[in-house]
Amino acid sequence: MLIDYLPIVVMAVLAGVFAVGSLMASSMLRPNRPNPVKLSAYECGNDPVRLPSGERFSVKFYLVAMLFIIFDIETIFLFPWAVSFRSLGLFGLVEMAVFIGLVFVAYVYIWRKGGFDWSAGEIAPNEADEVVERERALFTRSEQEVAKPPDVNEWQGAGRAG
Amino acid sequence: MTGIDWVLLVGRVILVFVALLISVLLYIWMERKVIADFQTRTGPMRAGPRGVLVTFADGLKLFFKESISPTNADRPVYLLAPIIATIPAFLAFSVIPFGAPVVIFGRTVPLQLADLNIGVLWVLAMTSIGVYAVVLAGWSSGSNYPLLGAVRSTAQMVSYEVAMSLALVAVIMFSGHLKMSEIVAQQDKVWNVIPQFPAFVVYLICALAEVNRPPFDLAEAESELVAGFHTEYSGIRFALFYLGEYVNTVTVSAIAVTLFLGGWRGWWPFHGAAAWLGPVLWFVLKVTAVIYVYILVRGTLPRMRYDRLMNFGWKYLIPFGLFWVLATGAIVVLPDRYGHRRGAFMAVGIIVAVWLVMSLVKQLLESPRPAPASREGLAT
Repeated sequence: MLIDYLPIVVMAVLAGVFAVGSLMASSMLRPNRPNPVKLSAYECGNDPVRLPSGERFSVKFYLVAMLFIIFDIETIFLFPWAVSFRSLGLFGLVEMAVFIGLVFVAYVYIWRKGGFDWSAGEIAPNEADEVVERERALFTRSEQEVAKPPDVNEWQGAGRAG
Repeated sequence: MTGIDWVLLVGRVILVFVALLISVLLYIWMERKVIADFQTRTGPMRAGPRGVLVTFADGLKLFFKESISPTNADRPVYLLAPIIATIPAFLAFSVIPFGAPVVIFGRTVPLQLADLNIGVLWVLAMTSIGVYAVVLAGWSSGSNYPLLGAVRSTAQMVSYEVAMSLALVAVIMFSGHLKMSEIVAQQDKVWNVIPQFPAFVVYLICALAEVNRPPFDLAEAESELVAGFHTEYSGIRFALFYLGEYVNTVTVSAIAVTLFLGGWRGWWPFHGAAAWLGPVLWFVLKVTAVIYVYILVRGTLPRMRYDRLMNFGWKYLIPFGLFWVLATGAIVVLPDRYGHRRGAFMAVGIIVAVWLVMSLVKQLLESPRPAPASREGLAT
């Protein structure tokens, strides 16, 4: 019955009036003294250098979104079945077991493919050596580039100029 | 509908709204006091007796504080996000029955705003809208930390939502209803927490992750992300986020009470005029108990690492939720044929639930794996 939703509509109006009203009332009563530093994005007082527009994210987040859709749709299928499965009896249970079993096969496949492994934090023993080699190469190269003695004269010059 | 009906309806809505606001004020105070006890501090002491008005004072202070909107912010969305955080929080509570029906002016009034025939689905829908507030706030702030915090906590919330739905499906199967009032009515002999204990455990864990409470408060891990998605919010806008978060905490606790702990049912000696008071008091008592457990968890456990959080959600909770849905189906359907096996099903369920809790504790306490040994050789 649609009339059942009437209290919810009233509640939505009340909560909306409360939220918008307190925002507006506060905007009339509070001080407003902006300055450029205050209004810059929070980055510990530095000028923000890389702003997120157009920034790309770890592909993991996209993967989570896709997996979420698969499994959430599965649970949405479960809801109507859960209400009526008593009348469906053993037949309904077996049907749903087959459905969950099929999704579970996909689930095991994703797991085996590493779809649920969030980071390289937990390294499988046979991969560990490979990772060590990779890191070693990374570190040696960067040390060659970084490890030149600091040019003291250049620093002093910079200090005088500033 | 006559005039009296309208008065009763609007009266109930206002009653619930004000009660929620006051309960949030008290629960925040309670949380600060209990956490202070854990850390041998006194906690808030100044505003009101034993500091009970401290949240009110904080709210009042935030109301008069300057609200900064960053230059890079997408202003319409930036202002919309706190409102989106607040409204669904109140709407989700609307389907919770908080007392037995009472008779006023010759009308039977249920102590529940709306007894929807899709009650549980409504709650899931409203908690999902809460995700929008997080992601819009983070995206529209035009700043790095909020964006990272928002993306992180969105991934966390949707991951745990699947497991939470599975836990709720098991309860619905057991009671056979989506209506909240029917689920409470079905628990008149045994609370669902006993036959559905594994679902209860899964629900409590997922509820913590859903409302971003410790140990799952990765969204606002202050040591890495400042304050997460609401870093750029200040003044009353921040207060609205805070309010929405705590209303959500009260709501998920109230859902735990309604679905698992018998709702407003409890022992009460009085009949007649005072009869309505007992169920309400029992409801408040049970919700407070669940929130107290959440505070204890916050005071006890360290924050989880993000990869372990996602691992735990996807690799433990979801397969267990699927397993438990089928097990519940077997418990309900099979006794017609194999009635004597019921105990065995329950035993298996409880063993697996214990295993689940143990694995969570293991994930939390396991010392981090030492970093690959490459760095020692290269340090010199």
